[in-house]
Amino acid sequence: MVFSTVLTSVPNLYLTRKPKNIHIQIRCLSSPSVSISSQSNLTQFDLKAYWATLYAEITQKLEEAIPVKYPDQIYEAMRYSVLAKGAKRAPPVMCVAAYEIFGDNRLAAFPTACALEMVHAASLIHDDLPCMDDALERRGQPSNHKVFGDDMAILAGDALFPLGFHHIVMHTPPELVPESRLLRVIAEIARTVGSSGMAAGQFLDLKGGNTVDFIQEKKYGAMGECSAVCGGLLAGAKDDEIERLRRYGRAVGVLYEVVNDVLLSKSTEKEGTEGQEKKGKGYVRLYGIEKSMEIMEELRSKAKNELDGFEKYGDCVAPLYSFIDYAINRGFNVSDLSQ
Amino acid sequence: MRYSLLAGGKRVRPILCIASCELVGGDESLAMPIACAIEMIHTASLIHDDFPCMDNDDLRRGKPTNHKVFGESTAVLAGDALLSLAFEYIACKANNVSPDRLVRVFAELSSAIGSKGLVAGQLVDIESEGKVVSLKELEFIHVHKTAKLLEACVVCGVIIGGGNDNNNEKVRIYARFIGLLFQVVDDILDVTKSSMELGKTAGKDLVSNKATYPKVMGIDEAKNFAYHLMNQALQQLACFDTAKAAPLYHLAYYIANRQN
Repeated sequence: MVFSTVLTSVPNLYLTRKPKNIHIQIRCLSSPSVSISSQSNLTQFDLKAYWATLYAEITQKLEEAIPVKYPDQIYEAMRYSVLAKGAKRAPPVMCVAAYEIFGDNRLAAFPTACALEMVHAASLIHDDLPCMDDALERRGQPSNHKVFGDDMAILAGDALFPLGFHHIVMHTPPELVPESRLLRVIAEIARTVGSSGMAAGQFLDLKGGNTVDFIQEKKYGAMGECSAVCGGLLAGAKDDEIERLRRYGRAVGVLYEVVNDVLLSKSTEKEGTEGQEKKGKGYVRLYGIEKSMEIMEELRSKAKNELDGFEKYGDCVAPLYSFIDYAINRGFNVSDLSQ
Repeated sequence: MRYSLLAGGKRVRPILCIASCELVGGDESLAMPIACAIEMIHTASLIHDDFPCMDNDDLRRGKPTNHKVFGESTAVLAGDALLSLAFEYIACKANNVSPDRLVRVFAELSSAIGSKGLVAGQLVDIESEGKVVSLKELEFIHVHKTAKLLEACVVCGVIIGGGNDNNNEKVRIYARFIGLLFQVVDDILDVTKSSMELGKTAGKDLVSNKATYPKVMGIDEAKNFAYHLMNQALQQLACFDTAKAAPLYHLAYYIANRQN
């Protein structure tokens, strides 16, 4: 395994700071089950360009979706978090990418993609509160409550959740997505955020205990799962395809977090005792580096295997394959895409 | 979640929803899932409103507030989870309502509780504390904090029951007046009743220097205004079948004359 330089970011769902030449080599990108065509997709697909285009479009739509009106402060607070330069837009990009396996008009997916980002931002705002994770920073800037106060932060989160749903129903073209599918999308997002999903994960995380796998799945896997599933639902994918997307999304979401954990603990090794507090509290602390690397490989493999079931869709699956590689290799810095 | 949701409460909002559905010929069973979801949403907003950094209440529906019992972090999550459960519940349980009507229900509800509704009202309410507030600002607070959700209750009921746009507008205006009436009476009761009778902390408005109708208008004018609002609300029901509109008539009377 090869790595270099120091990573100083605080672990969260996705990296926030520039990973200077951090590189992790997994023994092989290919496994016997992978067909030649999907392997060549892996090497040819330009994820950076794909992500950059989507990033710009989604950011613009989010900007339009949250104009400042009276009372100004709530909109300022909402925009502050949703439009943060450090945001990666991973949930919306995942949603559109999943949609495009089956569907041919991304306009169908954009409102849901934006809603996912709003809901994601809302849950982060609440997670960062002093009574919760008490985070000082988020996405490369001070946390929402540090700038606007605890009351405004609670309200901003409370406003972003329903805005997400409102955005979906008001902006999804009915000729592209029948209402019955919209209802399934709403149910999926609501379930993800709620007491059996992310709220459960956050609750257990705060209360402590050893169920790190459950927490990781609920907190981090949930958003990946939800985004992929929503994309499939919007495009009218079949039930077994939805479930495949679900398993893929969950694996990739957790994989991102495990890699974050590993990268962070590698960097704190270099920093010495100073970095001890920042050490990941998840997999690495519980299982150690070696076992965590094994888990990474398992998740990578699992995610790939799920996508192999979409072989008949050919090149359309390429973006989702490339997310897996990106989770591990972090070949570019997503926040650079916002320039 | 259960602690707050099942603590009691008058269930005015779910009842408004069901009554509006029946007003236009719909069945109670059609509206029930949405009615329950509305109560979840309302409860979620109360849990968050009671936080120390917001209204800072120790008592709600006759019991200690959620964060007092479970701690703030659990209370934040309970509110968030109730809100999302409400949306999930409507999407999954309202099986006999057509998808296009449910989508309109989502549009209506989500608009009422966010930055154009509940949240806006709560924000301006907090920002107005300790300041001189005009009648117009007071009305903004109460329209957004209370009336918007009540409007959503009745409009959703009419949508589910198969009413037309004209029905929608009449009940919406009815609910707008009821919503304001609710708050005016709330303000009057806060001044005139004890905590035990109210079920929540009394005299808070005076202590917290919050803007209220009695403070802005005087207690007698506030009472007159309440009756004026009630009459305006009742006028909206004139075009409906009397028997079907009876629950909504009586709800208006109840809200105007309640003692807690």
